[in-house]
Amino acid sequence: MAVDIKKVDEVISRYEKSDESLLAILQDFQKEFLYVPEEGMRRLSELFDVPESKIYAMGTFYKALSLVPRGRHTIKVCTGTACHLKGANQIIDTVERELDVKRNSTTADGRFTLESVNCVGACAMAPLVVVDEDYHGQVRTSKIMDVLKKYK
Amino acid sequence: MQSELNKGASMEKIKIIIDGKEVEATRDQCVLDVAREQGIYIPALCYHPEVTSSGGSCRVCLVEVHQGGRMRLVTSCNYPVREGLEVKTDTELVRRIRKGVLELLLARVPDSEIIQDLARRDGVETPRYFVDEGENYRYKCIACGLCAQVCDEVVGVNAISMLARSREKFPGTPFHKPSQACIGCGACAYVCPTGAISMKDDEDVRTIWGRQFKLIKCSVCEKPYIPEAQADWIVKTTDKDRSFFDICPDHRK
Ligand code: SF4
Ligand code: FES
Repeated sequence: MAVDIKKVDEVISRYEKSDESLLAILQDFQKEFLYVPEEGMRRLSELFDVPESKIYAMGTFYKALSLVPRGRHTIKVCTGTACHLKGANQIIDTVERELDVKRNSTTADGRFTLESVNCVGACAMAPLVVVDEDYHGQVRTSKIMDVLKKYK
Repeated sequence: MQSELNKGASMEKIKIIIDGKEVEATRDQCVLDVAREQGIYIPALCYHPEVTSSGGSCRVCLVEVHQGGRMRLVTSCNYPVREGLEVKTDTELVRRIRKGVLELLLARVPDSEIIQDLARRDGVETPRYFVDEGENYRYKCIACGLCAQVCDEVVGVNAISMLARSREKFPGTPFHKPSQACIGCGACAYVCPTGAISMKDDEDVRTIWGRQFKLIKCSVCEKPYIPEAQADWIVKTTDKDRSFFDICPDHRK
């Protein structure tokens, strides 16, 4: 998958050339491309005179950065104790089946990335599904696909 | 670690006690170095005196230090000595805690001979913990980081770094592809305490980190002995002439 190198350069140009900017740039890549592309890291290394090994190490270190393309929307199904008891796994099974996607991966059309998370601290809302920034509480398995409908 | 310790270090001579014996040391030297000078053995894996930031990771170099009436367990490879410090390297407590450390290490890298040996010395044959296998199998690597530190601080090419973190932490090349920065010197394989890095020389070709390097043959004995890429790097970064590498160290006058 080709990444627009002009876009890469534009992101990099927002920052001053210093080690402190590196993480912020990787985060911007993540926002811009929905992942941190290899081309971006290579270009950053070249322009900032920082070894590729250091930038790649950073890219692999942070959970917020993904090295493979992510979906436009992220579905996080809470699997903490309360949500687990309230049927989180059935929700995951349903989403996996309906969207033909496996946990921790992205649908073929790039629409959704499915993840499970360990307790988001909203047990009263169990079972809980977080789509992007929206918290959906007391989600019934039969209703989960309706919830996802509005995310295009 | 050492760089911090050595900052503004004087060569001030001090006296410390190791295993009941009074010895002379230099202020801020690490306990491990002093012990080694004295011929006292402390097991240690991740520390190398020439690698400034090394140490503090494997935890097998634990010793007791006593000062001002207080006792602490510390890693000897990065603990700076001060006047009047008393060190005990082989107490019941040291052995017990180190045994726990080695048991954990053995569960991570059951195939490492050196970990097996050290563990056995402290009385561990098989760990009580789940052994890392399947997708968590990591051959012999204890993720100490020494290989990447050497590549950065001693060789200076930064071909490899420690990737990911916690259980998945592992050394590797950028993008898990053959590194263009690598010069094939093998310092990482040489310095690795557990022999976890594979490097193979086959005639005049060296394979390491998924890349092949052509070796220069000595014009006297015909033995291939240094990668061309390494010679090029040395020429670039020092005042050595490329012809210097026509002859191997054994036959240089
Ligand atoms: S390969 Fe060796 S030196 Fe590198 S992190 Fe693993 S054990 Fe340490
Ligand atoms: S040698 Fe001291 S912690 Fe590894």
